Amino acid sequence: MSRGSLFPVFTLTLLLALILQMVALPDVIAPFRPEWVALTLVYWAYATADKPVLLAAWLSGLALDVLFNSLLGQHALALLTVTFLVRRLRGSLIIFPLPQVALALSAAWVLYAFLMFWIDGLTHHSAVPSLRWLPVISTTLIWPLAALVMDRFRAQPKLRRLT
Amino acid sequence: MNTTLHDSASKPLFSRGPGLALNFFFLACVSIALMVMDGAGTRIAAARAWAAWALQPLAQIAAAPQSLALLGDSLQTRDQLEAENRQLKQRQTELDGRLLKLESLEAENERIRALLSSAASLPDRVLISEVMQTSQDPYRHQIVLNRGEQDGVYKGQALVDANGVMGQVIQVNPTTCVALLITDPDHGIPVEVNRTGLQTIALGRGDGQGLSLPYLPGNADVKVGDLLVSSGLGGRFPAGYPVGHIFELRHPAGENFMEALAYPTAKLNQGRQALLVWSEHNTPAVDLSVPTARPEMKQKAQHAQEQAAEHLAAHPAVAATEAPAGSKPAADKPAPAKPAADKPTSAKPAADKAAHGAAAAPTPAPAPAPVKPANKSAPASKSAPASAAKPQSKPPAAEAAAPKESPPPDTPPQ
Repeated sequence: MSRGSLFPVFTLTLLLALILQMVALPDVIAPFRPEWVALTLVYWAYATADKPVLLAAWLSGLALDVLFNSLLGQHALALLTVTFLVRRLRGSLIIFPLPQVALALSAAWVLYAFLMFWIDGLTHHSAVPSLRWLPVISTTLIWPLAALVMDRFRAQPKLRRLT
Repeated sequence: MNTTLHDSASKPLFSRGPGLALNFFFLACVSIALMVMDGAGTRIAAARAWAAWALQPLAQIAAAPQSLALLGDSLQTRDQLEAENRQLKQRQTELDGRLLKLESLEAENERIRALLSSAASLPDRVLISEVMQTSQDPYRHQIVLNRGEQDGVYKGQALVDANGVMGQVIQVNPTTCVALLITDPDHGIPVEVNRTGLQTIALGRGDGQGLSLPYLPGNADVKVGDLLVSSGLGGRFPAGYPVGHIFELRHPAGENFMEALAYPTAKLNQGRQALLVWSEHNTPAVDLSVPTARPEMKQKAQHAQEQAAEHLAAHPAVAATEAPAGSKPAADKPAPAKPAADKPTSAKPAADKAAHGAAAAPTPAPAPAPVKPANKSAPASKSAPASAAKPQSKPPAAEAAAPKESPPPDTPPQ
């Protein structure tokens, strides 16, 4: 039942993340666009224990691949890996306060960016390397805010806040 | 705390146990397989196309803010639209008027040409050719084309592209030919300034992108931005093709001559195709008894020409290929000899250039010359064509030796 009531929120946030990932931004700030999809998936993997985040990560990754015309499976694999690790380490993460979690999760964004970078490199798809790492900063900064907002949307008893 | 434990304890196996890793492993393998397939070929292109179609609404939503912004652009006031409409109508009228004028000018031009019975219209026989290779030597600007003797290509044939003159054929092989570009330091092409009709010669600078017009009189009416078109003098290049745009004027103090630098309009090192043009004056003009002893030769210029003649003699091949014209261009091209007048020391190079300039325009081309609008401001050097136009027939042989006996030159205005 909790699954049923949460599911729309889960799906909606993912759709919203996909849209935010695609919305046109001015050229100046476009490189700083947070990785919305990864951010949302990681939130769900971190905040809940029962959401099918892996499948969701894989599907939304494929959607990103199609939408951004990247190698089919590239985003999927990167999102899958990050989501899996966060879900796996969830037990360790939830005992820390939010700011520390946000800081720890920056490693996840770095991993995500690296996977994208690496697969691009394997397929000889060139990109500006320096711009690749900017989303890590913005995602790290915006993740606590997004987590708080999504906490509000989840009309669930707070599962994890210890303090 | 309790709730957390309870929640995670309720489904321990499915959310965190080996199931999670298994799921991850499976999906990761599928992802990698997809990437390999996608990278290898188009086997999943159809699936991709379907997915893209299914995701279209999402993309449209994402594009909504942008289209809203564009909508704002299209919401103009009636006033703006009316103003724009008025403006466009005005411009239309203006252009219509100009077009009318153009038509009448065209008709007039045709009549005048008919009166002159000149053959200066653009040649219509062309052949498209592919550039097979370009010279890697930075100091030789040559290209090899895939047309040769069997296509009727002849030595000295002009080569143009969509934007202007590229060069001329210097060597014809059975199925290929080698062309010298106008930027080659050995190349000279007779040009006229489109705005004023001023005649001169454009030499390649050898830097791959520039032309130099070194023989302009000090007071020549030339401006930056002027278009140079081939003048057709010499008959090798058809008249009226764009050659270059002047981008710099140099007028060293104390020098008699001003130098202009131009960029070729042709895309010399960009295109893959070039047009070979059959000029009407391509036949060796042996019988053209147009004289060339030019009255306004300077002593030093004569010296330079002697050297040019020597040069021709010293290079029988060159002389032979340009045989019909070889004798006269040296005298015919007034311009190349000039620098010698200023700098005697540079006489030899100048003479060389004279020879090659001659190569560019070996035949005197009596026909186009009269058509050329006059070189009003053209002093000594420019008056060459004029002199060529006045038939003071001398046998070419006589003329080759003639330069020395030419009358005292009139000095170019300083």
